[in-house]
Amino acid sequence: MTTMVTRREMIQNLGGGIGALGLASLLATPSSAAPTGTHFAPRARRVIHLFMNGGPFGPDLLDPKPALHRFAGQRPAEVDLRTERQTAGLMPSPFRFRPCGQSGVQVSELLPRLATCIDDICVLRSVHTDNPNHGPALFLMNNGSVTPTRPSLGAWLSYGLGTENAELPGFVVLCPGRPVRFSELWTSGFLPSEHQGTYINHSDLDPQRMIPFLRNPSLSVAAQRRELDLLRTLNEEHRAERGPDPALEARIQTMETAYRMQSAASDAFDIRREPARTREMYGSGHFANACLLARRLAERGVRFTQIYYGNGQPWDTHNNHNEQVRGLARDIDQPIAALLTDLKQRGLLDDTLVIWGGEFGRTPTSESGNGRDHNHWGFTMWLAGAGVRGGMAYGSSDDFGFRAATDKVHIHDLHATILHLLGFDHERLTYRHAGRDYRLTDVHGEVVRPILT
Amino acid sequence: MHRLGTVLLSAMLMPGLSAAQSPSPTDVDFFESKVRPLLVQRCHECHSTKIKKQKGGLLLDSRAAILEGGDTGPALVPGHPEKSLLMQAVRQVNQKLQMPRNGKLRAQEIAVLEEWIRRGAPYPGSTDTIKQTAGIDWAKGRKFWSFQSPALQPLPDLRDKAWPQRRGDHFILAELEKRELSPSKPADHRVLIRRATFDLIGLPPTPAEIDAFVNDKNADAYARLIDRLLASPQYGERWGRFWLDLARYCDIPEPWADYKGQPWLYRDWVVRAFQEDLPYDQFVQKQLAADLMPKSEPGDRAALGFLGLSPQYWKELLLDKDVIKGVVAEEWEERIYTVGSTFLGLTIACARCHDHKFDPISTQDYYALAGVFASSRQIDVSVLSDKESRTVQDAAAKIQILQEQIKKAKTDKSPEAAKRIAEWNTQIEQIKKTTPGHDRARAPGLIESSIQVLADGLHKTKVKYKPGVAEDIHVQIRGNPASPGALVARRFLTVLSADSPKPFTQGSGRLELARSIVTQGAPLSARVFVNRIWKQHFGTGIVETPSDFGVQGTPPSHPQLLDDLTARFMQNGWSLKWLHREIMLAATYQQASAHDAKKHAADPDNRWLWRMNRRRLDVEAWRDAMLAVAGNLSLERGGPPQELTDAKNTRRTLYGTVKRREINDMLRLFDFPDPTTHSANRIPTTTPLQQLFTLNSPFLQLQAVALVKRLKTDAADDEARIHRAYLLLYGRTATENQVSVAREFLRTPASNETWLQYAHVLLGSNEFLFAD
Repeated sequence: MTTMVTRREMIQNLGGGIGALGLASLLATPSSAAPTGTHFAPRARRVIHLFMNGGPFGPDLLDPKPALHRFAGQRPAEVDLRTERQTAGLMPSPFRFRPCGQSGVQVSELLPRLATCIDDICVLRSVHTDNPNHGPALFLMNNGSVTPTRPSLGAWLSYGLGTENAELPGFVVLCPGRPVRFSELWTSGFLPSEHQGTYINHSDLDPQRMIPFLRNPSLSVAAQRRELDLLRTLNEEHRAERGPDPALEARIQTMETAYRMQSAASDAFDIRREPARTREMYGSGHFANACLLARRLAERGVRFTQIYYGNGQPWDTHNNHNEQVRGLARDIDQPIAALLTDLKQRGLLDDTLVIWGGEFGRTPTSESGNGRDHNHWGFTMWLAGAGVRGGMAYGSSDDFGFRAATDKVHIHDLHATILHLLGFDHERLTYRHAGRDYRLTDVHGEVVRPILT
Repeated sequence: MHRLGTVLLSAMLMPGLSAAQSPSPTDVDFFESKVRPLLVQRCHECHSTKIKKQKGGLLLDSRAAILEGGDTGPALVPGHPEKSLLMQAVRQVNQKLQMPRNGKLRAQEIAVLEEWIRRGAPYPGSTDTIKQTAGIDWAKGRKFWSFQSPALQPLPDLRDKAWPQRRGDHFILAELEKRELSPSKPADHRVLIRRATFDLIGLPPTPAEIDAFVNDKNADAYARLIDRLLASPQYGERWGRFWLDLARYCDIPEPWADYKGQPWLYRDWVVRAFQEDLPYDQFVQKQLAADLMPKSEPGDRAALGFLGLSPQYWKELLLDKDVIKGVVAEEWEERIYTVGSTFLGLTIACARCHDHKFDPISTQDYYALAGVFASSRQIDVSVLSDKESRTVQDAAAKIQILQEQIKKAKTDKSPEAAKRIAEWNTQIEQIKKTTPGHDRARAPGLIESSIQVLADGLHKTKVKYKPGVAEDIHVQIRGNPASPGALVARRFLTVLSADSPKPFTQGSGRLELARSIVTQGAPLSARVFVNRIWKQHFGTGIVETPSDFGVQGTPPSHPQLLDDLTARFMQNGWSLKWLHREIMLAATYQQASAHDAKKHAADPDNRWLWRMNRRRLDVEAWRDAMLAVAGNLSLERGGPPQELTDAKNTRRTLYGTVKRREINDMLRLFDFPDPTTHSANRIPTTTPLQQLFTLNSPFLQLQAVALVKRLKTDAADDEARIHRAYLLLYGRTATENQVSVAREFLRTPASNETWLQYAHVLLGSNEFLFAD
């Protein structure tokens, strides 16, 4: 209770700005009360973003396009769209679909396990973005702008909500390597730097290897605490002499976070502590490990966990598309189904938003014989969990899955919707920088209301 | 603009209708019944103002637009179907120009278009469509503030006439007074020497240096301090690193890079250039064209590393030549981006696919520069004189023979063979020892040689170079190498040339480009550099976008200051050391950094410099300072890099190995820039992971151990040691309270371990990491 009062007082003292809330949350005890930085009651309290970097092809997975077979090899007028590279005629997806779940939403044979969760999933078949190049598309999806300097979605959420658990970073990025454009995808941009994503390469499962310098090789916990108390005393005295300085303050705060992180992260990031049954449920491989790790982090109050499927851009199937996509789909099917099931069983799916998708999709036309090019005109993503209608396919693409056709969802709309689910009016979550108020959605964005429960 | 003029002229001379005449009723009827439906149904989907993204830059919904044409030129010649591109396109005779894309027109339809053109292509009812890119208005473009020659500025009137110490102070104070703000008090001498020393040499002042400065009562004590620091051999190491961020320097490039020479030769050249205060205009030219400058020395060829170390992208030669041409085009873009951003503060690369959307830079300008890079090849170059080079080559030949003998002898397992091998090895060592320069023969550099991307059989590609040959290249329409436009002569940017820029005539034109940058381009190149140096000293720039002085950059907070300082910088021989003095001897720089609630409320970002900014040390200065106060720092200068993870590495961080594709953990955690790309400035972040490094890294522990050892040697008892530590780390003695806090800590238990922890805390503190 004391903490709550202090926290509330602090927010009042600081004028109630959201920046102050971020700080207040940093100071809050673990498992603090409901976040107060939102504009209205949030449906989601945290997000897990499964990023298929490189860009998957919806009609292989969740947007069946039988017409592709009828027009195989042809290039009808409506597919004569410019993408990054030259493409030829239409190339059918060889994968069969069937209606799944109570809802009967069509799911491809590539995702047999995910199909069992379809009633929790809202498939968006009409997403579109602005640019068919990876860099700009990655930026638009992550930072709301094709230029690389804007704060990322996770940074905005961290800024708006603070963290739920001061012992862990509020925004974690997992990748068993380096996605293209790397740290620019989780930058805090002009927001205070504490909101940037914490990048973790989880290809080694030992938390001490994931997080450099996680443990002190020689000091006992007590000795280190004593050391840290002295450090804090000196730093606070130093700051007090100098008056308020966010840089000094941030370092004091993050020093405490780092201290607690040592034990908290050693536990949170260690999926080897999971029962064998659970590990089996998720399966093996980097992506499975990341999904399980994401659940552990969600459970412990990490606000935003973003998983990049792999190093570079594995979904960028310019060649041997079908063969590659079989492997890729196999790799994600079981872990994602396990994640959704696991979250649901633990009651976490009610307030955890799961996002799936790439930076764009792929062309229904072929590239270099058996590949598919980038496609920003229309692609498939899905949402599940907190406040999102399950068992629904929203919007549609054209007959060939090239261009978003009805109920189109631009990335700005997606961002507006995500922020809405987290309790923010996307037009009011702003930050004053270089003379004006910036927001994630710039001057765009409409909340996609039909998909909300 | 030029093209539009030609089209209007030709339209008037052509048979058939001029734009001003109205078509006859039969023509109207023909057009409305036959032509318009065809255009609407088969063409306007891609070529109309009504859609967002037109294809090929061509609009077919007005006569003027058709005559102006698209990327490949005017779409038709009225009265002459046989001369009209449109007819070629619909007849689909040319592989590269086949319209419509979604299927050929019927013969009847083609005949309609032919007839229409023969009649003079009447297009009733069309208002002349204005193309979205109407060309660049150069006269207007040249008026932008950053393109104007910097000139001395009249000093503004001030209320407080006593405060300014240098010309720059007048401009700062004028802005403060305008806002009812006032400067802060001068910083304490201890603060000042710590600030200046970190600033200029990236190391803390020693207790003796502090003592000397604090007790120096001469009026010029501070000026002499600055002189001493500028002359310090550590100065070049500090400021050289600042330049390497812009140059995307690395020690270990991508494994497929063509060059295998030693990158550190470039790093050392940069350090030396700063140390010797090489005039900046020379500094620029040597990095771009040392090989072509008449008076440059062989050692100067190391300067070419600025371009010689450019990242190279993988070229998969199994792919089609157009794909590889695309990769090569990406490399040109990288060079243009880096050269444009670093030297001119212009985002020239934005003009690759279309004219720059904001700045007066045309696509032609872009390809004029691309030709320079297409005619220069990244390759290892010798940095030795011909004589030295011959000696080194002879030595290398001898070494090779010995090594072959060793290799052969190794098959023989006899003791005699082993003896001989040992002897040969000694000989090799001896040759190395007696041959100066044997280990620095070659540096990544450039030669004059143009690149050719050619088909190799049906599907594969080969890359060839033509040594000594320079070639112009074609505009790549919309950035597509497979879609060539006009051939563009290699030359400098139009907007920075008095009228039309003259083509380069000497080889690739690299030297002419370099000269242009510091002559016609001086308003930008000098301003950009002055602003960068200002930003290094203050943490904020006069222009906050140090690599973008275009329309999208931020305007200068103090335009007169920037102009005045730049004009004088040029007058003073482009001397960086002059510039340092001018900035650091100013009252603005010497202010305290203390907080002031009222001023902070009025100007929270300290845009108007009512105080000095408190600065966090960058990772190099922080690591070096820890080594220095622990007594571990090696001041060995230059040479090959060494891994920072190596516990024995006590050299300055500048010499730590930088791998382009994998940054060392410590560097990465503390905001070191990505060496694959030009970094305009470092963005400081504060994260828990940084603090884990502070708490747990072996590096801090090692320095704590050394520091304790030093303190125990330097001082006799705990209290004296505490003061000594404060002096070494923070440049001051400890307060009474700090001493008693420390003694309390050291008492439980009183052991060397506790001392280590105490030293660790001091090294990890904010006071050590920040300079007031």
